[in-house]
Amino acid sequence: MTRAGTVPARLRRYAPFTAASLQGLLQYRATFLINALTAATAVGVQVFLWRAVYAGRSGGMPGGYDLPHLTTYVLLAQVLGLMQANRVDEEVSGEVQRGDIAVSLLRPVSYPLARFAAGLPVSLTNATLVAVPVVVLYALLLPLSVPSPQGALLFGCSAALSLVIGFGVNLLVGLAGFVTTNIWGVRIVKDSVVAFFAGQVVPLALMPGPLAAVAQALPFQGMVDGPLRLLLGRYHGPLEAASILGVQLAWAAALSALAALAWRGAVRRVEVLGG
Amino acid sequence: MIVAENLVKDFRVHERGPGLLGSLGTLFSREHRLVRAVSGVSFEIPAGTKVAYIGANGAGKSTTVKMLTGIMTPTSGRALVAGLEPYRERRRNAANIGVVFGQRSQLWWDLPVPDSFRILRGIHDIPDAVYRRNMALYRDLLDLDALGNTPVRQLSLGQRMRAEVAASLVHDPKVVFLDEPTVGLDLVLKEAVRELVNRVNAELGTTVLLTSHDMGDIRAICDGVLVVDRGEVVHSGSVHELLRTADTRAVLFEHEGDPAAPTEAIALIEARLDGASATVVDGGRIRVEYPTGRWTSRQVMGLLLEHFDVTDCVAPEPDLESVLRRIYTGGRRPAPRPEAVG
Repeated sequence: MTRAGTVPARLRRYAPFTAASLQGLLQYRATFLINALTAATAVGVQVFLWRAVYAGRSGGMPGGYDLPHLTTYVLLAQVLGLMQANRVDEEVSGEVQRGDIAVSLLRPVSYPLARFAAGLPVSLTNATLVAVPVVVLYALLLPLSVPSPQGALLFGCSAALSLVIGFGVNLLVGLAGFVTTNIWGVRIVKDSVVAFFAGQVVPLALMPGPLAAVAQALPFQGMVDGPLRLLLGRYHGPLEAASILGVQLAWAAALSALAALAWRGAVRRVEVLGG
Repeated sequence: MIVAENLVKDFRVHERGPGLLGSLGTLFSREHRLVRAVSGVSFEIPAGTKVAYIGANGAGKSTTVKMLTGIMTPTSGRALVAGLEPYRERRRNAANIGVVFGQRSQLWWDLPVPDSFRILRGIHDIPDAVYRRNMALYRDLLDLDALGNTPVRQLSLGQRMRAEVAASLVHDPKVVFLDEPTVGLDLVLKEAVRELVNRVNAELGTTVLLTSHDMGDIRAICDGVLVVDRGEVVHSGSVHELLRTADTRAVLFEHEGDPAAPTEAIALIEARLDGASATVVDGGRIRVEYPTGRWTSRQVMGLLLEHFDVTDCVAPEPDLESVLRRIYTGGRRPAPRPEAVG
């Protein structure tokens, strides 16, 4: 009943949200199959498009990527995309629209943290149940580049930060539901803008200079391009690797702060919707 | 336990003309109008009492409850629940209260009911002993086990409501807000829910604020009543006191004589008792309704005994529903008394 307690004790209150979300997810098993098919198809389309580009090229490698590198990039970009599809935007805006947000306000926990706790298993089940089979499938079919242990380690850290960035972006989009009742359009725009500027469609290195500069200045590059640059060793020296992680960390912190601020503002608006 | 001091809540409503043109107009101009949903409500509910908060639809009940539960911030005035201002310290307040919103579920939609309870146990950090004691009580009274492993989304309203009431109480809250807690329940389960609320109140001293249109709930659970109308508290006191504000009372009786010709009896009563009305009700009884300001029960009974060979006589309590209806429709308003009830 009291708020007192150590930090782990307080965090323990969020574990049930993770467990509940995981349990709920496992009830809709067909979703994983559909996600796997969608991801596999998306990877297939892109990979074979790039193979055609490489087959017809007159020399030089686009952006310095050879074909196994680019195949790996495209494949893992889909994996990261799946991990960031945490449904937080959908769940939050849905709650706002239905008015169920009122019930969430009656729980003695921080709503953004509870949402994060509930979003994690979505990311992780997508990563294991969907992404792993897709990666295995393409690893059997196509030549991929094998990352160094150091690259894999850096990628792990970076992917974890990308989850926080993806969560921040989706929470902010979900909270837009307080301002505009129909969030569907906003989400469609968000999905394509984020995918593009994250480097999920085309690596940022392949974008024309000014566009790449814009993409580098946005938080989204930390969701796909950053982790994959670390994985594929596309940086010069440890300093640049550290700066990729540093920029991600800064964006993760900034977006979390922004989301917390937006949440405070949103709570004050609950009344407009009649709770 | 619950204090409301001059609570006021205004809503901004977008003005919009009728029809397509009106809708188009909202693209260009956004004019607001202020609507006052709650206008200066004050009351105090002592710890451990069970109070019904009643009023017609749109009277500002649910807005007040939302301010007391911390979901809404009042435009002005102040509320205190267990010593906290709910909208300022929403999370701490949430640990002190339990809430049932009739139409909204606090259970996890995709999961079976027992799982929702396990989750609530974690969120509220409920001690083992408390959790076990409460679950045993709910199993006993509400037959929660019968809900089995069906996901909440597949439960009927009645099945879900039992779980909702239990879920609002599982963390031993100091105050419980019940909004239509027996909607969709059959008589047996209604009784069970009422008994549960009364038992929790008796054993743990839980303060209860009930908003309901079900007079049975109010009579079975509450000892105090707050009546709100148009955003103001128009009556506060015990249920009994509210009933005494009735301006008509009734007597039903049967008498020896010619049951086929009650018209004479009716004519006689209506001629002698100015302002009263007599009707024949089911079973051949005659129901006499009389204004309390004009006649005392003694006068009415005296007249009946004098003229009829009365074989059976009942004077029912005034009907809470009709008392409320009169308040809602703007009849005589009892003077507001913003003091403790219960």
